Amino acid sequence: MLLAIDTSAGTSVAVVDGATGIAVERSVDDTMRHAEVIGALVRDCLEQAGVRPADLDGVVAGMGPGPFTGLRVGIAAARVFALARGIPLLPVVSSAAVAFEHYAAVAPNAAGNGAGRLLVVTDARRRELYWSLFDAPGESGIPTLVDGPGLATPADVPHAGEGTQRIDAARVSGVALGRLAERMRAAGADFPADHALYLRSPDVTPAAGPKRVTA
Amino acid sequence: MSPRFRRATGADLDSIMAIERTTFTTDAWSAATMAGELDSPHTYYLVVEDDSRPDAVVAYAGLFAPRGAAEADIQTIAVVESARGTGLGRALMRDLIAEAARRGATELFLEVRADNPAAQGLYRSLDFEQIATRPRYYQPDGVDAFVMRRALPPEAESGPDTGTAADTADAAPRDPLVLGIETSCDETGVGIVRGTALLANVISSSMDEHARYGGVVPEVAARAHLEAIEPTIRAALAEADVSLADIDAVAVTSGPGLAGALMVGVGAAKALALALDRPLYAVNHLVGHVGADLLRADGTEGAELELPTIALLVSGGHTSLLLVRDLVSDVELLGETIDDAAGEAFDKVARVLGLPYPGGPEIDRAAAEGDPRAIRFPRGLTQPKDMAKHRYNFSFSGVKTAVARWVEARQDAGEPVPVADVAASFRESVVDVLTAKAVAACIDHGIPRLLLGGGVVANARLRQLAEDRCRSAGIALRVPALSLCTDNGAMIAALGAQLIRAGHAPSGLDFGADSTLPVTDIQVA
Repeated sequence: MLLAIDTSAGTSVAVVDGATGIAVERSVDDTMRHAEVIGALVRDCLEQAGVRPADLDGVVAGMGPGPFTGLRVGIAAARVFALARGIPLLPVVSSAAVAFEHYAAVAPNAAGNGAGRLLVVTDARRRELYWSLFDAPGESGIPTLVDGPGLATPADVPHAGEGTQRIDAARVSGVALGRLAERMRAAGADFPADHALYLRSPDVTPAAGPKRVTA
Repeated sequence: MSPRFRRATGADLDSIMAIERTTFTTDAWSAATMAGELDSPHTYYLVVEDDSRPDAVVAYAGLFAPRGAAEADIQTIAVVESARGTGLGRALMRDLIAEAARRGATELFLEVRADNPAAQGLYRSLDFEQIATRPRYYQPDGVDAFVMRRALPPEAESGPDTGTAADTADAAPRDPLVLGIETSCDETGVGIVRGTALLANVISSSMDEHARYGGVVPEVAARAHLEAIEPTIRAALAEADVSLADIDAVAVTSGPGLAGALMVGVGAAKALALALDRPLYAVNHLVGHVGADLLRADGTEGAELELPTIALLVSGGHTSLLLVRDLVSDVELLGETIDDAAGEAFDKVARVLGLPYPGGPEIDRAAAEGDPRAIRFPRGLTQPKDMAKHRYNFSFSGVKTAVARWVEARQDAGEPVPVADVAASFRESVVDVLTAKAVAACIDHGIPRLLLGGGVVANARLRQLAEDRCRSAGIALRVPALSLCTDNGAMIAALGAQLIRAGHAPSGLDFGADSTLPVTDIQVA
């Protein structure tokens, strides 16, 4: 049973358990209140699912890409929750949860593949976008990240056309993130590194020396 | 939600009975019995309200403690199912325990169903011991009752030797073990205290990463917090030689500070409290600096603060003068900087002089060889015209600019800059204003006590001048160990421990990071 936390867009928290079918999600789409809402969302999810912290056996962290101030709140919470319970942290690329949800929703066609390539695009603020390109999943249901995640101005997002479907996602589902992590764990897939995907350097330049105060 | 604790009144009867009937399905009290309990002068009933829920009252608890009686009883306690696991029961129990002690009881009793191990565990963690069994006490279920008892300390706040009195009492209650998290600027601090005993104080600083920028870069600091928070918690647990399961409560800085940095600590602390099912206290960073004086760096039992006191907090982010009448309930801001913090001025002047970051220690070092009277730099907000409005406020922007002008004039004239003299003269200007205003605040308010805090306390000249001026004015000066003056989690834990000791309810889960949290908000609900 997994607790999943994503703050790459709004805040989404879920408790999922494939064995029992538990899939409870609590989300707040506001992109400016991650620190305020994260505690109540975790508490409400656990309560709604009738689950105690001790019942969990992993914590899934949405690692972004996402605007950094909010992104950190969820990753910090997931890391410390996992530490406190002594259970593993399972890092997952947030846009992969969007792709997972998409492919899970489309019925496979006669050719056997649910869909073609998918470009997941999310808001990076400052008039830029995050993008990630996925291939349709096979049996495992795990979408394959084939390019990205990257950062681009709206005009420069790559892979336009190419028979690729594009989703501009405003939210990342905790349940999708959790279910994807369950699939990855069951399939023995590699989880990405436990690094926040900021895709931007801090906005500073090294000091050039003191500025003159006299003309 | 943010639960509010208050005394119950007759108007709460219906809400209480609704919970009573759903919680104690087979043996609920009658409404008449409950009404009598609420009305009695010998009882003390509390309710917890949560406005975000349809039925506002989510918990209640009652104590029977006639004033002057040696024995008191916990009568009942109930939390609606949907609000369990959030520490409300524990907080209610703590409040009733404190009230029983205030009413002069020396022993507190309760009965608990033998088939309710969760409640028994809560009571044991609150130092109740099982002393007897009443067979088939609960009817019609025929379930045994365990009788539990705990000793109560003599009424709290009885002076400086409270600690020893409690320690020697039989079955003395131990203060809770509190873990504090501080991430308001560039130090990730995690501390662990029990009461006023310091068990761990681990600090991971991102200062080196800021050096090439010449000052703290908020985004760099926040990224460093995210990477440091988990290892720093681990290190603090190792230093205190305790496990997370031993932690009784979590405290965290809610503000003031850098918003993005604070949020990392807030997110981590909420997760920790929920994962461990422990109460969470969101506290004020500046008041935490005052609380640092409760602790001793060597880990021995600290002492109560001598109050009231004036506190001068000086760091890279703050320059504040406080009047502290009570650490957990009455802190007043007398004044603060209206532009740069003192530490920031040190950093900027260091750059002008070609000295590295952080500037404080560099200026201190350079000044050691210099003449503090060589150049008379301005003293901000000390002119008579300023003193009316800014008696306790500070300004360091002017002196910083004055130093830069002075240095540029020398450079433009092709003359060498006497770095030692400039450093010593600048330092003297800053330290003169800081100590003069702090001592004035003590004298104006008739408070012969001054407490220093914040990283700039590392400045040798500040400590020396404060000592000299306090001695002349008959003011007792307190300076915590430097490891407790810089930003740290132990001071946050110490403040949390005092809030618990004073019976304050935990914070809810809805607080955020407040970069401008006023000092009067000691705890954030």
